[in-house]
Amino acid sequence: MSNPATHGWRTCPDCEASYRPRPLAPGHQLRCKRCGARLGQGRKSDSLQTPLAMAVTGGTLLVLANIFPVMTFDVAGRNQSNLIITGIQGLVEQGYGPLAVLVFFCAIGAPAIYLGLLCYTLSAAMMRLRLPGLMRAWRWVELAEPWSLIPVFAVACLVAVVRLDLLGTVTWGNGSVFVVLLSLCCLILGRMLDRERIEVLREELP
Amino acid sequence: MSRSDVRLQRAWALLLSGAALYLPANVMPVMTMTLPGHHDALTVWGGVIEFYEVGLWPGSVVIFLASMVVPLFKLLSVGWLLWMDGSPHYRVQRTKLFRVVETIGTWSMVDIFLLSVLVAVGQLGAFASVQAEPGALFFAAVMVCTIAASLNYDIRRIWREEAS
Repeated sequence: MSNPATHGWRTCPDCEASYRPRPLAPGHQLRCKRCGARLGQGRKSDSLQTPLAMAVTGGTLLVLANIFPVMTFDVAGRNQSNLIITGIQGLVEQGYGPLAVLVFFCAIGAPAIYLGLLCYTLSAAMMRLRLPGLMRAWRWVELAEPWSLIPVFAVACLVAVVRLDLLGTVTWGNGSVFVVLLSLCCLILGRMLDRERIEVLREELP
Repeated sequence: MSRSDVRLQRAWALLLSGAALYLPANVMPVMTMTLPGHHDALTVWGGVIEFYEVGLWPGSVVIFLASMVVPLFKLLSVGWLLWMDGSPHYRVQRTKLFRVVETIGTWSMVDIFLLSVLVAVGQLGAFASVQAEPGALFFAAVMVCTIAASLNYDIRRIWREEAS
């Protein structure tokens, strides 16, 4: 499994110190001796099944979170249901296109790229399929990850509801449940795919 | 010039743009809320105060931290990291600081998302409306600049031995 050219040695992605990965008991961590980077984590199973399942779940939740309204706002007998996209449309209508693009990218686009391509690369690595463009897809996963801000969006929704509650009646919609689950999913995925795993994955991509 | 040097220069450019935009982002109003008998142009700080005054101090703490403390902290930290580039001092601390910046950096997007959720709701005609204001553009630009600046700094540079 390890790259024969390096005799099992790897370099720390943060400070380039050499280290040799070793099997870790579940719950144990491997940290870089020089800079303290988390390099690996012991877990019960090394298979890619759990992260893949998470990525698929996350993708499904992302679709659901965008189909169902996150909240409904009532004031003086009028009400409006809010999808994630509604706010983006609102920004466009008010002439703030760049903001709309930014919100769209961070709340829908980047998570979709991240989760979608993660499903693609993880399933290819797991089933050892030579699918086209795997390295490029993986590169996009890494590019999209820091811009995928679903947990931040969830907090913003919470603050917005608190704020709007003063003006009228706000009811949480089904979409909000999916947004919360989706943010948990993204946070867990971020922790599962630690550096060592990413290195192994990179080598395993056919 | 190596690729890593180009990225360092890009990080500097982004950081300085972010710093220049920080002032207008905080002085100009980011949104206007219109309610019956009420018309408020709110700056970021105004939003913090408004939350506090109506007794929602947890909300005001969230906005204050995410929208004012985090961007300033990011500008200063990334500035220090770029300034110290190539120095053999404080390597462990700089590495740790970089990780902290990466972890908390994106939380400053809360205000932009908040605006987008409020704008959607504020389309109920005469009853209530929320209008985005130009300050929001500056604010968003600061966010993008600081996030992109730290993404462009290669953490491995901290540990490279180079005659500087």
